[in-house]
Amino acid sequence: MSLAPTRPAQGRANLRGMSTLYVKEVHRFLKIFGQTLIAPIVTTVLFLTVFTVAFGTDRQVAGLPYIEFLGPGLIMMTILQNAFANTSTSLIQQKLNDNIIDVLMPPLSPLELTIGYVLSGATRGLLVSFSVGFALWLIIPFNVHNAVFILVHGVGAAFMMSALGMMTGIWAEKFDHVSTVTNFIILPLSFLSGTFFTIQRFPETLQTLSHFNPFFYLIDGFRYGFTGHADGSVMIGLGVVIGANLAVWTGCFLMFNAGYKLKA
Amino acid sequence: MQHTHSRPQTRPSLGHHNWLGLKTLYIREVRRFSKVYIQTIIAPVITTLVFLAIFTLAIGKLRGDINGIPFIEFLAPGLIMMAIIQNSFANASSSIMAAKMQGNIIDTLMPPFTPSELVIAYSSGGATRGVAVGIAVGLAMTIFVDLQLQNLLYILFYTVAAAYMLAMLGIIGGIWADRQDHMTVVNGFIITPLSFLSGTFYSIDRLPEALQVVALFNPFFYAIDGLRTGFTGQADGPLLTGAIVLICVDIGLWLICRRMFATGYKLKA
Repeated sequence: MSLAPTRPAQGRANLRGMSTLYVKEVHRFLKIFGQTLIAPIVTTVLFLTVFTVAFGTDRQVAGLPYIEFLGPGLIMMTILQNAFANTSTSLIQQKLNDNIIDVLMPPLSPLELTIGYVLSGATRGLLVSFSVGFALWLIIPFNVHNAVFILVHGVGAAFMMSALGMMTGIWAEKFDHVSTVTNFIILPLSFLSGTFFTIQRFPETLQTLSHFNPFFYLIDGFRYGFTGHADGSVMIGLGVVIGANLAVWTGCFLMFNAGYKLKA
Repeated sequence: MQHTHSRPQTRPSLGHHNWLGLKTLYIREVRRFSKVYIQTIIAPVITTLVFLAIFTLAIGKLRGDINGIPFIEFLAPGLIMMAIIQNSFANASSSIMAAKMQGNIIDTLMPPFTPSELVIAYSSGGATRGVAVGIAVGLAMTIFVDLQLQNLLYILFYTVAAAYMLAMLGIIGGIWADRQDHMTVVNGFIITPLSFLSGTFYSIDRLPEALQVVALFNPFFYAIDGLRTGFTGQADGPLLTGAIVLICVDIGLWLICRRMFATGYKLKA
């Protein structure tokens, strides 16, 4: 008697396995929703308060009331940080607990693993952004200038950060490594790419550098979707978001495919 | 058969302090964080500098002087105190929490420590990290900000008082929390909001009347205001009241921590 094939049908996608992985990952963060969903709302409202009180409510940035300028930036910041946090901590924890094998043994192809993880991280980023957006909407007047830009940049940011988080989680050998990437790369980039101010306030050289920073385009395009104001070119931004996504998805796929730091 | 020897006393001499033990536990606490100095010292410095950059870029010159001081010079001491607050708390709470989760808290409860000695060692360990980060942040800021030491005594007093206050709050949090979750909640919902909203980034006379009164009951406000006075010479609130409030809070927390260790609350079965 031959063994029953573990893969439902060779060559076909293992949709059940992929959705199970996705659901497992979503349950993982929903179980601790106080930390994963509510705490970011508190943080965002804090930032809003601090900036409005320190800055004054009557100021204008780029022809917009400051608070309307700030709102989309804050939402994007939560997407960036939470999508990244989800996949990176999930993977490093599984590696440290030695139960990553439970994900690698089942008949999931590298692409299916990538999709399952990236979607779950993006789900957290987007869920948090909805709750933060709702909380902000109670305080700030929001306009929608171009819904397509909001959607593309929101989802694009969530996917990109989720995939980056995955690469970090796979690469990291200790929890320390993940914290280092978060504290020294992700946090500064998500803070300094135009979340709280227009990059026109940067010195010349940093302005030029910002045009090579995907985070800048994510925030700028997202803000454009709400306010109609953009610091950079929105079309280049769209291209950068799509290109960056392709690059990080490919990176994840290659890592799983090679078993880099996952399989002995 | 009779025992000819009495058992050696575990406590060097009853009634006397266990200096060696105290020193050992303190050093253990300091090594715990200095071993991972990238996470515990350098990361907070970077975060604080990022805050400095954001506020300077977003608000900077658009905002006039506060109480006659340029905004950035007003902001810098607030950020230093924020770093002290968050790191003192994080150190004590995470140390106890981690020991509880790993089940090795017993290694600090078994040795012959009095409750007071445990409080001293843990709070000093936390305060050391807070002060270390505060100094590192202050030094890094001198590159960008013209920090002046107007009154060294104020700086010293408020730094130490606040660091101990938060370290002892961290001990209480760490003992009380059953899971890492609880700790994150305390951090996210109490410590961070208080360290953000107590005048770190603005003078409290920008707040509505009612909230200004509330600030006068907030020890975090006095800690920030006092340290800022040490650097700028300009106080928002009454300084003497602030010093008294901090001393009273420290004594109160000291008694609570000691009581928790003495009764073994959530520590001993």
